[in-house]
Amino acid sequence: MNSSFINTEFLIDTFFVALSGVPIALLVTAVALAIALPIGFFLALSRINEIPVLNGFTKVYVSFVRGTPLIIQIFVLYSILPLILAGIFERYEIDFPIYEVNPLWYAFVIFSFNTAAILVEVFRSALKTVNAGQLEAAYSVGLTTSQAYRRIIIPQMLVSTMPNLCTATINLIKATSLGYAISLQEITLKAKVAANVGYNYLEAYIDIFIVYLILCITVEYLFKVFEKRLSRYKAVATA
Amino acid sequence: MLEIRNVHKSFGNNEILKGVNLTVDKGDVVVILGPSGSGKTTLLRCINFLERADQGTATFDDMTVDLHKANKKEVLAVRKKSAFVFQNYNLFNNKTALENVAEGLIIGRKIPKEEAYKISREALDKVGLSNKYDSYPSQLSGGQQQRVGIARAVALNPDVILFDEPTSALDPELVGEVLEVMKEIAREGTTMIVVTHEMGFAKDVAKKVIFMDGGNIVEEGTPHDIFVTPKEERTRKFLRRVLPGEYDYEI
Repeated sequence: MNSSFINTEFLIDTFFVALSGVPIALLVTAVALAIALPIGFFLALSRINEIPVLNGFTKVYVSFVRGTPLIIQIFVLYSILPLILAGIFERYEIDFPIYEVNPLWYAFVIFSFNTAAILVEVFRSALKTVNAGQLEAAYSVGLTTSQAYRRIIIPQMLVSTMPNLCTATINLIKATSLGYAISLQEITLKAKVAANVGYNYLEAYIDIFIVYLILCITVEYLFKVFEKRLSRYKAVATA
Repeated sequence: MLEIRNVHKSFGNNEILKGVNLTVDKGDVVVILGPSGSGKTTLLRCINFLERADQGTATFDDMTVDLHKANKKEVLAVRKKSAFVFQNYNLFNNKTALENVAEGLIIGRKIPKEEAYKISREALDKVGLSNKYDSYPSQLSGGQQQRVGIARAVALNPDVILFDEPTSALDPELVGEVLEVMKEIAREGTTMIVVTHEMGFAKDVAKKVIFMDGGNIVEEGTPHDIFVTPKEERTRKFLRRVLPGEYDYEI
């Protein structure tokens, strides 16, 4: 037994255990973003253009997600989804072992569901920063709405999206740590399991801290580089 | 060449246009004057479908469209025959001057890139910006931005260019360069409808001057008709307000 305050050897070993959870954390982040980005964008458009039904639905959805703790959303979806699916499968006599599904799939659903709501607000505020005149000018030179969005509105919107999107992404990466609650094999769970053996929780937590810190700083840096590239047209001061 | 018939437009309970008719012949410069809120800008915006009229038609040569019910295809067709110069320039902020001009040619009209850039360079040369091809709007002065805006409209070679108060947002010392460019393209025979408060431009360049008030055309005629021998009391009142000195002198 190591008698010092911190078990250095365990600290180092567990760091690599925690590190081995990074791919899962990043996979969940990437999939959630890939699903949530288009959904968030279109729901933001429906809010801004006040599309009936969709607008109201989006308001409720966003309020619900923002107004409830993520951990509770995870528990609720994790309990309700299998029940609903089991019911459907039973009804159509599909033989599927719903209770043996890899929690990774639940993580995809839960984090997409949560992130899309966050991104609605991110995109909504970003869309509002693009002057309505830009769309009118695009129309006046003969562009269709989708051409105007693709070529004029979205490129400009992205610049002001970046800081908030970066925050949302970092929050998402950190939120995947809650995946341990549904036995997702990610950073936190792996380090905690390692700590269970010898009660080295402090070391494990320090490792978890460091891994997330490295991840998030890297992501932050990448976003900064990308933001700089996107805002080239703004970078130069008026002559 | 362009005939606008019976255009009505309300915003809520506020009736902005009360059945406006307007005929523009090829090569004409038509200047629309009138106090703010008289519907000048709304009329222009309705012609380009930036606003949906409640009623009315527009006829370009042989094509007539319903300004209220036009479908997407008709809207695009009208926008191909017209171009718009905005009060606030509305240049695409994420594109250079050259790209701003070329955008409508390449995407809207499907003109091959090489050719589109050639046309765009010529248009920018015409407005005196041959050294600003690669500048972004944020690097240009207001007057330069508006000249790019005019080049963007000219490059499309439309039947008619609609100018919505093109100098109203400019610093006074920059107004001249924009008016100069507008005069130049007018001399070349471009058909233009211009909403403006520049009385000098109206007097010098307009073929026809239209005075609007309260959603109606009150009076129209040559610059001489409107500025020297206005028939309507409302026109006279307006002119007295905007050209106090000159009006007294003319009387």
